[in-house]
Amino acid sequence: MNTTTLTPEKTEIYWDVVTDMLSQAITGELVGMSNFATLTGTIDDVHEKMECAEHANCERGHAEGFIHLAKKYKLPVNINMDGYYWKNVRECFLRWANKPDFIGCIIIQEVILECFAVSMYKDVGNALEDHEIGQLFLCISKEEEEHIEHSIDILQAELDKDYAGFIQKVEDIHNDCMTILAEWSATVDLKGHCGVCRGECMKNSLYAAGMDIKSLRGNAINLYLKTLDRIGIPGTKSLQWIANLPM
Amino acid sequence: MDSESSNVAFALIGHQDSWQKISGFVNLLRNTSQEAEIEKQKIAEVYSYFPPCAIFDIDVRSITGITAKGKYIETFISPDELTLKHWKNNISKVKQAADCASNLQAGIATLGGFTSIVLEGRVDMLNGNSKTCFTTGNTLTAAFIVKAIEKACKHFNKELKDQNILIIGSTGDIGSACVKYFSAKVNTLLLCARQQNLLYQQQKELLENNISAKESADVTTLLPEADIIIAIASSIIENFDPALCKKDVIICDAGYPKNLIDNLSEDLNERLFCGGMGIVNGGYDFTPSFHHQLYNFPIPNIGHGCLLEAVVLSFENKNIAYSTGKGNISPEKIEQMYDMAQKHGIREAPFFNTLRVWD
Ligand SMILES: NC(=O)C1=CN([C@@H]2O[C@H](COP(=O)(O)OP(=O)(O)OC[C@H]3O[C@@H](n4cnc5c(N)ncnc54)[C@H](OP(=O)(O)O)[C@@H]3O)[C@@H](O)[C@H]2O)C=CC1
Ligand SMILES: [Fe+2]
Ligand SMILES: [Fe+2]
Repeated sequence: MNTTTLTPEKTEIYWDVVTDMLSQAITGELVGMSNFATLTGTIDDVHEKMECAEHANCERGHAEGFIHLAKKYKLPVNINMDGYYWKNVRECFLRWANKPDFIGCIIIQEVILECFAVSMYKDVGNALEDHEIGQLFLCISKEEEEHIEHSIDILQAELDKDYAGFIQKVEDIHNDCMTILAEWSATVDLKGHCGVCRGECMKNSLYAAGMDIKSLRGNAINLYLKTLDRIGIPGTKSLQWIANLPM
Repeated sequence: MDSESSNVAFALIGHQDSWQKISGFVNLLRNTSQEAEIEKQKIAEVYSYFPPCAIFDIDVRSITGITAKGKYIETFISPDELTLKHWKNNISKVKQAADCASNLQAGIATLGGFTSIVLEGRVDMLNGNSKTCFTTGNTLTAAFIVKAIEKACKHFNKELKDQNILIIGSTGDIGSACVKYFSAKVNTLLLCARQQNLLYQQQKELLENNISAKESADVTTLLPEADIIIAIASSIIENFDPALCKKDVIICDAGYPKNLIDNLSEDLNERLFCGGMGIVNGGYDFTPSFHHQLYNFPIPNIGHGCLLEAVVLSFENKNIAYSTGKGNISPEKIEQMYDMAQKHGIREAPFFNTLRVWD
């Protein structure tokens, strides 16, 4: 590690971590793209339908951006949407899409998944700041923030319509989808290898790129709780939901 | 919307001082269906990432018959982060907690214990454009300390005017309030803090007003002379040695986290009490009731002076920044706040320490 500046040395482990980060990001973007594409089928409102198609295209663009840089730097990314965590996230989304429950889908994609994306991309971007890949992570993190903003007004209106019913729905979705992300972002993959990291879990080598899983996860939970607060979910409730997650 | 912010008279901003309390609280939140409790170490990994928010409602009853409704806002500053290293992060958390109080449109909000230290009492930094007023709560804390000391002197048949009072943290906000209050009432003031220049300045001003005062940054040089000790410092007094104390010394530890070690010698335990604490004779309730985990004392209806100050101010419809900055608490303000509190059945707590109640 170069002690004069904080930027980590570009060791082999460093590039392994960057590769696995890109693999996770691309896989996540493709899940997001598929989710938004599915959404176009669940809603009747034409404008929301078109907006979802636009969001799907936006996530496709993000995936393309990451894939492009992986090629440019000859990083052997591994895209796997069937690994335990990403597969379960997608299946969870489809359960709500097939109800159909548009609001449930918005909570999964635009609150839970985007909070993790915005926060983790920002941390990764800051850690790889001196590199083009880091710049892309920071830029996409900024763009993903719009998805969260887009959901806040819609979900506040739902809360106003049916306070208790809406809170129960968010709790059910939290237990359904957030549990998977908690298993995926725990210090050790709680349900086994994610199927995306090439070697053993990259969590053990994040240090080589100046990162650590506790702050990656902690910052994502922080943004998730702040977003729930902005929507109007009471602090005691959201805290209780987090306390019931696998750690 | 069942708007939570319809009638929030006061907001109490605070932090927890032990992982044991926190893990009791977090595990209480876990559904009983969950098999294992989360271990403290796992909780510690995520706890300080939680954003400040209101976690329970509080109803406090005055003996005049009125009830004040408020909320407790947890800053999630963790017990390991009460040091200089985390200062910037703590200031941001206190500000976020203050925003929560403003968003709840609380009339008055108080910064419990450590949170006011983080801002050096600069509550003016918090107002922004909200109608919520902020107080440090340190005046009622100082009132409870000085009144409890006077009560302890009677309890042990000591004349206040003959006593040497050692104040550890004398240059602090509450410490300096105690110095001013006892200046003309005791034999000698013994002043202790780490920064020598402020200590020397404080002593100089007292001597100029013909008040007998000694100062030292080394508490061990002052302990042998002290008849009464008020520990009101913002960190643990590492070199406090009970063996140096007089056998009949009275000790008030008002620091949070505790300034002095817990395992004092057997006989000193009958002469040490947790300071700055009050009792609410009208009683209070938390909803949900997290008393047992977060706010458990050997006597019911006990509360921190800094938190109760906001309650008293809301009983009195005085949503004002009553305690602000550092070193501004006068004896007159102490008496005024203490009188307002007593009107509502709130006064210094009976004597208790972490081991027993001895009042
Ligand atoms: N019971 C209650 O309800 C309340 C209790 N408190 C507690 O009271 C304490 C003081 O609060 P406040 O007056 O606002 O804080 P301040 O920061 O204003 O004052 C702290 C004082 O302690 C001194 N000090 C700090 N560490 C040491 C040490 N190791 N040895 C000797 N002196 C020390 C400081 O001087 P120097 O830096 O020069 O050493 C300063 O004089 C805190 O622990 C706080 O948590 C606060 C509010 C309410
Ligand atoms: Fe994206
Ligand atoms: Fe992995």
